[in-house]
Amino acid sequence: MRLLKPVLGAVLVGLLLVSNANAGAVLDKIMSSKTIKIATDANWPPQSFINDKNEMDGFDVDVAREIAKRLDAKVEFITPSWDIITAGNWNGRWDMHVGSMTPTKQRAEVLAFPAVYYYTPAAVAVHKSSKISNVSGLNGKKVGTGTGTTFELYLQQSLTIDAEGAPKFDFQIDKPTIKSYETSVVALDDLRLGDGVRLDGVVSSLPVFLEAIENGYPIKVIGDPIFYEPLAVTIDLGDSELNSKVASIVSAMSSDGVLKKLSVKWYGVDYATVK
Amino acid sequence: MIQDTVTDEVLLRKPKFIAFLFSIILLCFFIIDPSQSIMGELLEPALGDPEKSGIYGHFITSFMLSALLVLNLLAISFIPRFRFQVIVVWVQLLILFLSFFYSFDLSFVFIRSKIWFMITQGIFTTLYVSAISIVIASFIAIIGAIAKMSSNGFAFAIASFYTSFFRGLPLLMQVYLIYLGLPQIGYVIDAVPAGIIALSLCYGAYMTEIFRAGIMSIDAGQWEGSRALGFKFSLIMRKIILPQSIPLIIPPTGNQFIAMLKDSSLVSVIGVWELMFLARTLGNKTFNHMEMLITAAMLYWMMTMVLELIQSRIERKYQKRQSR
Repeated sequence: MRLLKPVLGAVLVGLLLVSNANAGAVLDKIMSSKTIKIATDANWPPQSFINDKNEMDGFDVDVAREIAKRLDAKVEFITPSWDIITAGNWNGRWDMHVGSMTPTKQRAEVLAFPAVYYYTPAAVAVHKSSKISNVSGLNGKKVGTGTGTTFELYLQQSLTIDAEGAPKFDFQIDKPTIKSYETSVVALDDLRLGDGVRLDGVVSSLPVFLEAIENGYPIKVIGDPIFYEPLAVTIDLGDSELNSKVASIVSAMSSDGVLKKLSVKWYGVDYATVK
Repeated sequence: MIQDTVTDEVLLRKPKFIAFLFSIILLCFFIIDPSQSIMGELLEPALGDPEKSGIYGHFITSFMLSALLVLNLLAISFIPRFRFQVIVVWVQLLILFLSFFYSFDLSFVFIRSKIWFMITQGIFTTLYVSAISIVIASFIAIIGAIAKMSSNGFAFAIASFYTSFFRGLPLLMQVYLIYLGLPQIGYVIDAVPAGIIALSLCYGAYMTEIFRAGIMSIDAGQWEGSRALGFKFSLIMRKIILPQSIPLIIPPTGNQFIAMLKDSSLVSVIGVWELMFLARTLGNKTFNHMEMLITAAMLYWMMTMVLELIQSRIERKYQKRQSR
């Protein structure tokens, strides 16, 4: 047993050394290979999904393509599950993540957020036949959402958004029974079964709800948006050159109106500028 | 069961039993209330609107359904050949099943537009990931089995630790551990190799036991005889023991392959575009995921049916060889 501690210590130090070995080199790698691997989710229409031609498509995907174009690199998409992306420590498996991630304090410990590229309103939806008419009507009720999302953090009342210019918000739902799903789309499938059958409400982003309603889901959005979440491009910790490069590209995309154009294309509204 | 010449009277020929069966089925139907079903709609001319026909309509529809079911059972029992009985029951169950899915009001246009991609991308990936994994797992299993039977304490300890660990963890956790854990010690591997490693290690552990049982089942006299002839261990293994134990090992290995085909769906969490991943994602844009899930389910089922057919062929072949 006495041996165990130093051995464990040595192994841990070794691990740390290895994982920091290629810090700062991501931008160089992108520049020299002329390809950039961008992680995104295939489960979030209209932000990122697989389209009719079985290719990646959506707002996030278009933004990712534009960033890659301005980096003069070919883009390659990969689609790990959300919790693997948010876990950080990518080890160069992919160079960047463009997938509507909200910069939170917890995430900033393992990831870096060079630039916010748009803001989406987070909202609450209930079944069409529900009598609940305002957000706090869900106090103590069964509320569904995607696991590992900011909506889940909001329901747990532990969400802190750590970005400049993000509007303030309050926690309006008290002590809900939180039901977390793989994605909010699955939560919507439970909500559509009927009012209170499995869920009383779902917290997710407004565009997802609008898309669902358009596809015939018997749900309605109640109240005003509960918070506006800033959504950022994400990179691994440790490459400040890439960080500032991405920051300047995104701010250029914002000032020459490309972000606004893409937002209108996918959402019909301009989410790229702060309200 | 063993076929013999003792025959009891067929249960379905006893009026008492039929009456008993009928009342049980009637009770079940009465509890689940079929008045809103297709049967209720068929009886609408006689009973009026199913929603308004009340307890009386409820009872009549249950009665009709139970009568149909019992008559069907009786009819099947009169089919002379065992084979035909099986076919008829299969077809009936299949129709029931398909009509169940049909009642979901699925968009077949959408399924048709996606099915080719699910086959070329999804089934292809699922099959090759499973096939590579089963080959690697077999190698691991041979080594593991020999180590587990060895008198060398070191080899035994490693092999038993390995089987205990990998049989003791859920496969999903192994997938995560390998995908997220290996980079921590400097080996950054992609999703597909990580999935293959996880499947190989997990199934290798299960198959170690299969291989061990196969090798152990060879009579000790074979060992003693070869030893007496002065053969070395590897020669005995290669030329005498393994050739005899392979026929015992192959059938359960086929079973493992079928199981692996389904377990390979777990690697979808690390972003491999195999059948399960596509089933979860393709329908999301248009909210057609029920369609995709059912299509993928049918594809998995068909794949395993084909494999089971091959499996039973192989089994029969080895049985024949043994009985010769």
